[in-house]
Parts: sequence; structure tokens; C-alpha cells
Amino acid sequence: MFLTLKLLANRHPSFIARTVFVKNNDVEGACRIVNRILGKEGILEQFRLTRYYEKPFQTRRRVNHEKCKAIYNEDMKRKIEFVLRKNRHEPFPGCH
Amino acid sequence: MLNILRNTLRLSINNLVRPFNTTAPIATEKFDHKRIPADDEGVQGEKIIDIDSVLQTKQNLFPTADSDNLLFDGVPYKDLAICNIRVSHNNTIFTITDAEGKVKLLRSCGIEGFKNTKKGTNIAAQTTAINIASKAIEKGFRTMRVRVRGLGPGRLSAVKGLQMGGLQIVSVTDNTRVSWNPPRPRKAKRL
Repeated sequence: MFLTLKLLANRHPSFIARTVFVKNNDVEGACRIVNRILGKEGILEQFRLTRYYEKPFQTRRRVNHEKCKAIYNEDMKRKIEFVLRKNRHEPFPGCH
Repeated sequence: MLNILRNTLRLSINNLVRPFNTTAPIATEKFDHKRIPADDEGVQGEKIIDIDSVLQTKQNLFPTADSDNLLFDGVPYKDLAICNIRVSHNNTIFTITDAEGKVKLLRSCGIEGFKNTKKGTNIAAQTTAINIASKAIEKGFRTMRVRVRGLGPGRLSAVKGLQMGGLQIVSVTDNTRVSWNPPRPRKAKRL
């Protein structure tokens, strides 16, 4: 109930959103988790992109580069899976 | 006999039928690798930490509806003092406020005596954090929640410095201002 009220009052309530509790005095770990979440959600990326105005030609180039990279990564992942495939009962005989 | 014949044939074929020319490649444009922006890890732990394994441990890492009333040092979470840290590329500013947001202490790397580019280093942020932490303890703020805003070199070391100064940090919050439909930002820097 309290949470819903808080959320209704403010769409980004402080100390609810983007918050991590520190466990066992591990402040650095908590910071890292926050940063990881921000990175994964694309918040830091958006922050960096909107820091300076990006001209349309830069946007086009960036998007094209991202597309190329995604295609390359996808195929490379497939290739690595193919090279590393194994069909043996014991995948690495002699190694335990 | 046959072999000799074959060899002579091959020789003749090599000499006559398969000439190859060695012209230079037509395309002269070289690919400029500087055009591609480098993948950098701007914030520590942004890409490395495996969040899924952390989430699977199911500690009470994230606030819930009733975390406002959790007691830390006998004070409910919502009444704890707040340490706001404003991190930028050129400076780090610490403000300690009470739960309502009234400023009790303010300190920045510039006030601490770091001047010019030295203000924006992680060492400056850490020493400032240690100093403000000792001052806060004198004023009676021991347990605190931390709210960080902005990206910069002092982001991690500022929070670490607060702990080194003796403060007990309950939670770390990010409050970076990000918009998905912002007004036009300032022009990009020329390099």
C-alpha cells in the first residue's frame, strides 16, 4: 500500500528505484551491483549518448556499426559453438 | 615415359595457359580503425559482474514495501541521514542532509584544496570522503544511506572513502539524471 502510494506520487522514487542494500559491509560489491544493473538496463549508455548532441550522420554510423557488430557476434558465437561441439561419451578422455 | 610426358605437358600448361598478372589492387582506401569508438568500461563493474548469480543467492539486496521501516542502528530506514554525492568529470561534491533533505554538511574536492584537474581524480574524492565522514561523525551522523549522481572517476572511490572514514553505509542508490527524450544537449567536443 505504502509502496503504491509512493509510486503514484513519483515515478522514480528515491531509495526504492536503483537502490541496493549493503550486506556485510561490502560497499564496493553493492556499488558494483548498482553499476551492473545500470549498465544492463542501458541507463549509463543513454547518459553517455545524451551528454553531447549526436549529429544525424553520427547516429547513422553508430547504428550501422552496431548492426555489423551484432551480425558478427552472432555468427562468431555459432562458429565457436560448432568448433567446440563434442559428441563423445566422455568429452575429455584422460582428464579428470 | 608417361611421367615425362605428363611433366612436359604440365610445364607447357604452366608456361602458356596460365599466365598471371600482378597489378596493384584497385581500391586504395584504407580502413581507419579510429572511426570505430573503442569499447571502454566507463564504470567499474558495469559489464563484468554476473548479476544473475548474485540475484540467485536471494539475499535481501533490494528495497521492498516494508524496507522503509527496517531498523538500522535503532533508526528506521526512512529517517536515516542521506549523503548525496554529485560526481562529475571535474569535481566531486558531498552533501550530508537529514531525512527531510536539510543540508548539514557540504564538502567538495575543491574545498579540500585540490585544484584544477586534480579535483576530478579518484584520490581527491576518497580523501574528501574520509574528511567529510569524520566531520559527520562529530556531528552525530553514523549510519547513512548514500545517493550517487553522475558518472566520473570518483564514483566508486567516494563511496569507499565514506566507509573508510568510519561511516556505516546502509544502502547505495543511483540518482543519475537520464532522459530518453531530452532537450538538445550541448554540441559535441571537437577533437
